[in-house]
Amino acid sequence: MRRGHGTVFWTGFAVIVALLIAAPLVLTEFWRRFVTEILIWGLLAMSSDILIGYTGMVSFGHSAFFGLGMYGAAAALLTIDPPNLWLALFYGLVAAAAVAACVAYFSTRLRDIYFAITTLIFSQIFYVIIFTWTAVTGGENGLAFERPPLAIPGLFDFVLTPTRLHWFVLAVVAGSYLILRRITQSPFGMVLQSIRENEARTRAIGYAVERYKIVAVMLSGLFAGLAGVLYALQNQFAAPDFVFFLVSGETVIYNVIGGIGTLVGPIVGAAFFLLLREGLSRFLTQYYLIPLGAVFIAIVILMPQGLLGFMRRWLNE
Amino acid sequence: MTVNPSLAAASSAEVAEDGKAAALLRTEDLTIRFGGLTALDHVNFAVPRSEVCAIIGPNGAGKSTFFNCLTGVLHPTSGAIFFAGADITGLPPNKISQKGIARSYQITNILPNATALENVRIAAQSRRHSWSLFSHHRAYRDIIEKAEAALDSVGLLGKAGEPAANLSHGEQRTLEIAIALATEPQLLCLDEPTAGMSAAETHDTVQLIRRVAANLTILIVEHDMHVVMELAGRITVLHYGAVLAEGTPSEIQQNPRVIEVYLKT
Repeated sequence: MRRGHGTVFWTGFAVIVALLIAAPLVLTEFWRRFVTEILIWGLLAMSSDILIGYTGMVSFGHSAFFGLGMYGAAAALLTIDPPNLWLALFYGLVAAAAVAACVAYFSTRLRDIYFAITTLIFSQIFYVIIFTWTAVTGGENGLAFERPPLAIPGLFDFVLTPTRLHWFVLAVVAGSYLILRRITQSPFGMVLQSIRENEARTRAIGYAVERYKIVAVMLSGLFAGLAGVLYALQNQFAAPDFVFFLVSGETVIYNVIGGIGTLVGPIVGAAFFLLLREGLSRFLTQYYLIPLGAVFIAIVILMPQGLLGFMRRWLNE
Repeated sequence: MTVNPSLAAASSAEVAEDGKAAALLRTEDLTIRFGGLTALDHVNFAVPRSEVCAIIGPNGAGKSTFFNCLTGVLHPTSGAIFFAGADITGLPPNKISQKGIARSYQITNILPNATALENVRIAAQSRRHSWSLFSHHRAYRDIIEKAEAALDSVGLLGKAGEPAANLSHGEQRTLEIAIALATEPQLLCLDEPTAGMSAAETHDTVQLIRRVAANLTILIVEHDMHVVMELAGRITVLHYGAVLAEGTPSEIQQNPRVIEVYLKT
């Protein structure tokens, strides 16, 4: 039975990745970009699923990690000549990890709503810093930069065309999914799920729960930062809007719509939400948020497990 | 964190205690106050190695509070707890578990959505491999075998794949014991292990505890007098947070003070 499961899983994975590889070849530039951004938002949502779905901690501060990834990449691309993709990744991840370490240290002492509020407050602190520290961050205007080439010295050197960028994003997101999936199935991941199920019990059988939570927040922040770097590469700017808590809120919405505790659910949630918003905004230019909210409420009431909630057990097998 | 506290060091410390029998667990003037209420009042108590000791007492006598102090859930106001010769007063529950004290709960406390096996496996895993991030948890056969052995020892191996929430109340209670056993404790604290069980289940649980007691020291809090009398070598009676009497089951049964406050009702 497990063998059959593996075959079906990997076939499904390959088909979806193949479709996403082909996507930029058949889609117009507008939809190509749309799909790339869904993948990036999906990665952000997936990173927060580690906390929401697997550890049982709702973070309302993922915009901070995302934004720091973005600004970290911007710092590398603006200060290092010639611009280097890998250093942009490195700077972005280090910035996100540093912020995640700080947030994790303080917020994991609290539980439930208090944890959520602490992460929210932290993200707003970073928003205000970025918004007001104009000399460094460009303030409200943000920072603009050029896309670096995709190169490994001596091996290859590609210009990052939109299509190649799409493939690069796809590779990073697919790789991140496989890594995160493996982490959720690892002994460490099982401890996180045990914390979600019964924190006191987990402590009583010998786990230093706080340490696991700190590492979970840092891991989650790291992958959120990765999404921020990708977004910076895609749009060639970093702006304070992306550190604002709306982004954190949308991240939680993608999780709830797609199904928490599934990793791919949040990506599907992001796709569903963004497509619906795009579609509705074309017909109802001013009032599109009203039906969007109605659909969201309907999903929460009718499908509290989210779109992929019915597959949760299977996906985690 | 080591798998077991050094047994050699522990036993030498125990011998150092002038002539007293080697106590695995000992409390000294253990006191805890909640505001004006003294829930435990200078409790001096010892559990000798390899014995089954029981704590009884009327509701509100401080039995569960005593357990919560031992396992680090509550911090005593004053006094000290020694386990295997080391001072464990005020350690958090996870450190106390790592030292070798396991407990079951009065109210069933399991991972309801995980399978019975996973409930036990996660407990076994707390001793090693728990920080591994990039291997599948099923890759650690040693942990799974340990978990299966623990399930087998309580007779639940046949239900290994069942979600814990689907088990009967009695099975969940025994699953609790399996979880505790999987952490390879030296001392097993059972908080009313037969609470809410049918007569048949109670009988099975008594047999189970007796089997387990062959290799372990056990401290048991229990309301069911038959269970206590059958299992315990020593009984301590708590009353309003203080030790009222201590002795063998027959001594306790004949103690007039105990009869007055407890056995009669």
